[in-house]
Amino acid sequence: MEKWDVVVVGAGPGGSYAAKTAAELGLKTVFFERGRRPGDKNSSGCGLGQRWWRDFPEIMEALQGLPSVRKVEMVVINLVDENNRLRYRCGTTGSDLCANRWPHGMDGISIYRRDLDPFLADLAVKAGAELRTSTLVSDVIMENGQVKGVRTEKGEPIHAEVVIAADGAMSTMARKSGMRNRWGGGCTLVPQLDFSADPDKMDDVIGNAEWVWFGALYGAYQVNFRDGFHIGAGQWLREDWDERPTDMVKKVLQFPAFQAMCRAIDAKPREYQAHLLPWLKKPPKTYTGGMLLVGDAAGFPCPLEAEGIWHALTSGKIAAETAAWAISRGDTSERALAEYERRWKASPLGKEHEFGPEFVDLWNSTIFDPKLMARQIQLLLEFSMLHPFSVVFDWGDAHIDCFNQHLEHLLDLAPQFADFGRTYLAPLARGIWPKNVKRILLSVKPRIPVLNKLPDNTFLRLVAKLSKSLAPYLDPTVDQEAPLPREVFERSRAGKR
Amino acid sequence: MEEMKLDFTKLVKRVDADKTGDFISYDEGKCNGCGLCTMVCSFNLWSVKEGKARLAPRYQELCLECAACWEICPTEAIDFSYPAGGTGVVIEYG
Repeated sequence: MEKWDVVVVGAGPGGSYAAKTAAELGLKTVFFERGRRPGDKNSSGCGLGQRWWRDFPEIMEALQGLPSVRKVEMVVINLVDENNRLRYRCGTTGSDLCANRWPHGMDGISIYRRDLDPFLADLAVKAGAELRTSTLVSDVIMENGQVKGVRTEKGEPIHAEVVIAADGAMSTMARKSGMRNRWGGGCTLVPQLDFSADPDKMDDVIGNAEWVWFGALYGAYQVNFRDGFHIGAGQWLREDWDERPTDMVKKVLQFPAFQAMCRAIDAKPREYQAHLLPWLKKPPKTYTGGMLLVGDAAGFPCPLEAEGIWHALTSGKIAAETAAWAISRGDTSERALAEYERRWKASPLGKEHEFGPEFVDLWNSTIFDPKLMARQIQLLLEFSMLHPFSVVFDWGDAHIDCFNQHLEHLLDLAPQFADFGRTYLAPLARGIWPKNVKRILLSVKPRIPVLNKLPDNTFLRLVAKLSKSLAPYLDPTVDQEAPLPREVFERSRAGKR
Repeated sequence: MEEMKLDFTKLVKRVDADKTGDFISYDEGKCNGCGLCTMVCSFNLWSVKEGKARLAPRYQELCLECAACWEICPTEAIDFSYPAGGTGVVIEYG
């Protein structure tokens, strides 16, 4: 009978990094992949952002030379109105002022999974883990309610002290062990259409950038690789779903600006894919006796933008470390493995999920409401008309009149968003750091007659007395560089102290 | 643009599509005929006839293995496992 310290199910990024970490910690480790090789079965947006430089710098360094890599130094946003007309294009880059966050600038990469996944699996193999490909793990071995190993599709039993389930959104391991069945509304379906393109023309036309298409009715992210790109869009699988996944993609192909870009880089459709992606307000329970869930299997993707590969590596690492810790203590029970949840919640992964409910509510209430989305695009356009470039280059004969007209449009539109702001944006105010709230108040103070004579501390104490909603930020005991605790914020919004 | 005539089924690669085994199972007794499976399938492999869902008999040759039909089915009439190891869809540009 085969017996391992750690059995990892799935050789995607989470599984491979868990296997690598476990092997480096001296654990006897095997990991399984159902494809012929890692990456054979995987599709995703696959942009790796700057936090990779912080957490996995050697990997980021090594990936730069792989064939499909294109750097990401900018994100280009394209706003398209309900008549499919491109109305506004802008780009965001890393700020030089945030050198501590972005030591490499906004320097991420996009990479196809057929390059990334085998590279990561190879790190695990080099660390001493055994990889078995073309093998589907189809069941768990349970004894007294505890996972004791797994069974392959051929019925072969593989015993383990700890099983790490990295088997994706439809985690067979989570289902067979009774941890959950369907996600029940928290999972998205992501259709993706890949295009081949001329790499040199992409350098000239696209540059080192990701693109996003925000339409009034449809939209898609566009991830750009060295010699191609794919467009995709996730939508929550709920009972009000009313559209075919292929149709959602086809609508973006109708944007004239998208077609123009395709012509300029000789783009041709190359591959169609679809995958499930959990996009949750909160990851459900991530451990049971003898087993830990990582990556998509655990529901870890970012609740704001659904990135998931950093989350897979990070959780894979924490899971393997927790497994090593539990095995060394001779206790892999559910109670012992609760340590996993404590550890990931205390890590940057936990911080990522701090605003899960707010982020998911915000998305869900914007992009899936075409009427609201059409008006929002109008609102964004009017905002965009107020920045200095628009006023200078509008080429009207009365620039100040023009400025005032746009200001009027904005004032007309704003009241329509009052409910939206109250319901979905105001809860995000919890995230403003208390020290920044203080700075705002103190910058206003000199302009307030009488109060401007008060010492700063007395002024802040007075504000706290007068305003129930500002009081929690001005509490001297509260962490100055962290969101307010949820219960404190909600109490203050309800008008209580 | 020509893309509107795209045949998405031609943009999928497979290996040993005849060796995947059965990886979608369907319990007609649990089906309430809601038709959500017909909406979420990229390749129209589900249909509803006489109040019950029907899965295309050749689904192994066409399915994208996304499992959306399993996730959306409110009565859990659809179960999804994966094709046998080393068979089925191969993604080259994922």
